[in-house]
Amino acid sequence: MTEYLETTVDKFIFKVATDRLFTPEGLWVKNEDSLVRIGVTDFFQQRNGDIAFVNLQPVGKMLELNDEVASIETIKVNLSLSSPVTGKILNINQKAVTKPEIVNQDPYGEGWLCELSVNNWAEESKKLLTPEQYFIKMKKDAEEEVKKNE
Amino acid sequence: MSETEKVNIVPCSGIGKSFGSVSRLAAYYITEDDRPADTTLVPLALLVLGDKDTNNTVLSNPSITLDGCKLQCAKKMIGECGGQIAQDLVVLDVYRDHRDLKPAGIAVLNEAGEKLARALADVVDLIIDQTLGITREEKNA
Repeated sequence: MTEYLETTVDKFIFKVATDRLFTPEGLWVKNEDSLVRIGVTDFFQQRNGDIAFVNLQPVGKMLELNDEVASIETIKVNLSLSSPVTGKILNINQKAVTKPEIVNQDPYGEGWLCELSVNNWAEESKKLLTPEQYFIKMKKDAEEEVKKNE
Repeated sequence: MSETEKVNIVPCSGIGKSFGSVSRLAAYYITEDDRPADTTLVPLALLVLGDKDTNNTVLSNPSITLDGCKLQCAKKMIGECGGQIAQDLVVLDVYRDHRDLKPAGIAVLNEAGEKLARALADVVDLIIDQTLGITREEKNA
């Protein structure tokens, strides 16, 4: 059962799953038996709004660190998501493509994006943020966003 | 024709979002241009304020809700008031079928937004027929 760090900023509640690592941009990365699953954070999906389209790289594609792993179009913006790891795409979540709202509804669960086999996890994972580190960054970003809109 | 005489059109009342503006423009297309005799425009804000006449309208006829986002305030409010929902639509779902029509602008929508509103109004037109039990033959007569 996934546990969460949680904070309320203005009228918004943001959750950070504690069983994975994060990029500063708002991707989460979960390593299970050398298979790395990637998705977007709760803060990412709330900040960027309802997702209209999700485009994922095809199964079998080799990705270098920072290559585009997915692109997302929301009602507000078009976003290119950089891969936080080097690896080969083994699975993609077709449900995220056909029903993109699942990414908004369940970003840490059913709304995952893709799974990669990785071979440099030990090194690359050191560059990712812990849940606590991401939580602090997210809270700061959320508070700045609220101030900006006041 | 069914016993239902009119259908309520209930658009999003959110201000400041293009998708909400699309829902309101579509509602105007439907209630003022396409189907004025078959529809009643219901302002969501009056329902929220508890306006009795508006509440009675919602209770008297089925509603088609047009929400700008997935929070679906219009749908929720009709439910809260005890109204019957004939169909709940979200602009984003219509946009997914018309990816070339990305709306922009708020007070004044861009051309794509206006076309998206037209597409949404066309979807609603068919739902109105189904709700009122109007056949194609009757409509073309």
